[in-house]
Amino acid sequence: MNAIYTKRLAYWTAVLFVLWLMLSESFNALHMAVGFSAALLVALLRTDLGAERTYVIRWWRALLYIPWLFSRILVSGVHVSYLILHPRLPIKPVLFRHRADLGSDEAVLLMGNSITLTPGTVTVEADDEELIVHALDEDSTGDVLSQRLEKMVARVFPAGGGRR
Amino acid sequence: MSLLFVLDVIAILIVMYLYRVVRGPTVFDRLLGLNGISTKAIILLVVIGTVYERVEMFVDISTGYALLNLVGVLAITKYLTQRWRA
Amino acid sequence: MIGIGLFFLVVAAVGMVRLPDVFTRSHAVSLTDSLGAFFVLMGLATYHGFSTNTFRILVVLALLILVNPVISHATVRAALRSGQKPVAEDRR
Repeated sequence: MNAIYTKRLAYWTAVLFVLWLMLSESFNALHMAVGFSAALLVALLRTDLGAERTYVIRWWRALLYIPWLFSRILVSGVHVSYLILHPRLPIKPVLFRHRADLGSDEAVLLMGNSITLTPGTVTVEADDEELIVHALDEDSTGDVLSQRLEKMVARVFPAGGGRR
Repeated sequence: MSLLFVLDVIAILIVMYLYRVVRGPTVFDRLLGLNGISTKAIILLVVIGTVYERVEMFVDISTGYALLNLVGVLAITKYLTQRWRA
Repeated sequence: MIGIGLFFLVVAAVGMVRLPDVFTRSHAVSLTDSLGAFFVLMGLATYHGFSTNTFRILVVLALLILVNPVISHATVRAALRSGQKPVAEDRR
């Protein structure tokens, strides 16, 4: 029961309890008591002793990342729609390997999720330094191969967060 | 655009996915089709909620549905990779 | 807004039927998840104006966007590991 543990427990209980309040919208004593105990229970289950957070997030970069990713998704979504609706189905799938030097597991998670979320590219395998990506055609591979995505992810998770 | 029209379109789309589930050459095609169907079902639930103006109830159901979908698909893929590795 | 989302959903379903193998079909599914669901749910969230229901629908949308890439990644990885041959130029 050290100080960090108590702090994180309080943090998660507060976050979950606020979420409960916003979702349930009932403010009588019984409902709030049930909500608080549920939040506390979940926080107790998820906060394990000793596991420190090893990564840093730059929050303003993360806030910039979301609209950027969405604009890329929109562009490639229109492109993929064109490919699918084209009568001759002009797809030319490629499977390629991409080396990514990202500091932490969380950065790899964000990058793999972004690749899969973008239409036209799917992460097939991901580990510490390599991603195997399946793309629908040459145009879809652009953002991954030109390392634009990697740079944006690296801005959200700056280097220096150690690997677990 | 009327919401009932949206309901109809999504129902027809579910039938198209169902074609892939029934027909799909491999297990993974079926799995992907089922995933698509459950995404459609989540959207469908929210649309139904908006039609009846009881969104708060249907949103809870669809949240549970999304989580069940995640757990189910992860379990099945885990099983399939283990089975064919041997 | 709902109309745009519906368009992407229809395209994704057409792709699901037309595309040749698991790996290419997963692109169609990611089209549904990211664009179709986004536009339809955003349209529904503001359908009756802003209220607490807007927030609830946004929670479902966030959950969907976080969870669906994981699912399609898991499916595709299982397909590759169990020896499905993709119709693709292999540049690994």
